[in-house]
Amino acid sequence: MTVKSAPSPWRDPVALLAAPAVIYLLVVYAFPLLWLFMKSLTGPGGLTLQPYVSFLSDPFNWRVVGNTLRVAAWVTVVCFAIGYPAAFALARAGAVLQIVMLVSIILPLSVGAVVKAFAWQIVLRRDGIVSQTLVGLGLWDEPQRLLFTETGLVLGAANIFLPFMILPIYSVVKLIDPRLSEAGATLGATPLYRFTHVTLPLTLPGIVSGVAFVFSMSVSMFVIPSLLIGDRFQTLATLTGRSFLLMRNEQLGSTTAVILLVLAVSIVVGSTWVARRIGGNQA
Amino acid sequence: MTSDSFLDVAGAEKSFGGVTVLGGVDLQVATGEFISLLGPSGCGKTTLLRIVAGLLAADRGAIRLDGEEIGSRPPHRRDVGVVFQNYALFPHLTVAENIAFGLKARRHPTAEIAPTVRRFLSLVHLTDFADRSVRALSGGQQQRVAVARALAVKPKLLLLDEPFSALDRKLRENMQIELRRLLRELGITAVFVTHDQDEALTMSDRIAVMNRGAIEQLAVPAAIYRSPATAFVLEFVGLSSRLTGTVVGQDYDHVIVDTAYGPLRAPGSFVVGASVVLAVRPERIKVNPPGDYALVARLRDAVFQGSKVQLHFEAKDGDHLMVETADLSDGLPAPGSEMRLGWAVADTLIYPAS
Repeated sequence: MTVKSAPSPWRDPVALLAAPAVIYLLVVYAFPLLWLFMKSLTGPGGLTLQPYVSFLSDPFNWRVVGNTLRVAAWVTVVCFAIGYPAAFALARAGAVLQIVMLVSIILPLSVGAVVKAFAWQIVLRRDGIVSQTLVGLGLWDEPQRLLFTETGLVLGAANIFLPFMILPIYSVVKLIDPRLSEAGATLGATPLYRFTHVTLPLTLPGIVSGVAFVFSMSVSMFVIPSLLIGDRFQTLATLTGRSFLLMRNEQLGSTTAVILLVLAVSIVVGSTWVARRIGGNQA
Repeated sequence: MTSDSFLDVAGAEKSFGGVTVLGGVDLQVATGEFISLLGPSGCGKTTLLRIVAGLLAADRGAIRLDGEEIGSRPPHRRDVGVVFQNYALFPHLTVAENIAFGLKARRHPTAEIAPTVRRFLSLVHLTDFADRSVRALSGGQQQRVAVARALAVKPKLLLLDEPFSALDRKLRENMQIELRRLLRELGITAVFVTHDQDEALTMSDRIAVMNRGAIEQLAVPAAIYRSPATAFVLEFVGLSSRLTGTVVGQDYDHVIVDTAYGPLRAPGSFVVGASVVLAVRPERIKVNPPGDYALVARLRDAVFQGSKVQLHFEAKDGDHLMVETADLSDGLPAPGSEMRLGWAVADTLIYPAS
């Protein structure tokens, strides 16, 4: 009996369908990135690591890296805490309600980050709705300004990136057979045990992509922090922007850009790997 | 009222959006008994099963299991195992991990779990598949994992929701025998939901035939087949010849019914003038019997079925006349030929016409 070998990607014409995407990304993304990378390594006297050494030896820059990662981590945590249960509500909702919910999640994406950030400026003011509500509930003694604070930034950014957490988790939850949890129950598993041993591992692929989306978007956000927290609070992305736009320092800009990219990619890839290990023999 | 039944469902009612799915069902099951809930889809059998498992709350009624009221307990505190129709195996776990799931969830000592899993793997002949992903198994193997997983925690009661419906016929028959043997060995009480009458007849100690949210008859398989309590049970379980007619006379414990084939006698008691249906199981009808016979009919079709031959006769609207007989030595009779048919009066079943 002969066994057919797996079709080689070169023989399989389906692989060609990726060609437009590959060419497009090479031209507009990979080549500029390579140029950026070379720029950061090129000093007046040729190839040098000097920009990286001087960047990393400045304590201010370490604070910038800390700001970037801390804000991105908080935004991801808030998005997950709100988005995970919302994804279940969405997946288990009736047909009409589901459409309403999907539209209300997707439609705001068309508004754009700038408009939403301006809206959040109003919301987060001293006399804004958040402050007034908290005072009204007796949680705050007097109105406070959330605008231009880290909390305000996290709240605003989480709102803008929330769909990118909900949608990937929703698409996974939708495929989970509700009977799996029932089977767990009839085997004597408590609701908590069922969640940690059935639901959570099965939704892990959705969580991984949701977290990857939101983290990489919030680690590199530029417009939202500019509008919600201002120049006194620098992240790697805003520093990169300032270097290119204000300081005209292409070398500093490309250095911070490369550091940002390396950090974001390694965190996303690393956490995906860890999640897959925890998840066992997941698909 | 007290009862010494192992499982005692009393007055279970359930409706969805104003539609009654289960209308006050009572069901008693003895220890070690294998009961089938048999009925067409929508008859409420799966609803009853889900209520006993605790996956659905009844609107009214009580459920006692082994002397304890369990109706208000959540499913994980009922000790009722379920084998689901689609098996509902955990796709992220291996075969052995699926079987171990309930033991781990119930915090059995780790040292006991491995031997128990090994024992159940061998009981369902899956020892070599312990570390496979359940997604890599065939339908029959998945079904065995589902049974082993449910039994490994030693539930007081096992519920099975059409577990064989996705299997091909040969495999299904093997699994039926295997499951029955396994449950007997372990002394497990089981309630089995099916719409397949053959499955119910071969496997069950007793069968509850359900229709429109109620149990029409609860009896041993032979009684269900030989003396169906209602016309629905007659039609749902097995084949039958049916003749409509009007009662024209009554003597002692028999009635005379006027049919398209002339007057026929049947055991029972009906008022004269009542519209009735007479029914006879097809294998009870004799072709060209010696001596007395009941009627003469013209053959429409003869169907060879291996071990038996099915003869269908011409009949007027509403009537259905068929005979099952052992293979005829002198070949199939030609359609159009007239044949004499006869049966014992005691084999005649009679129901009011619906």
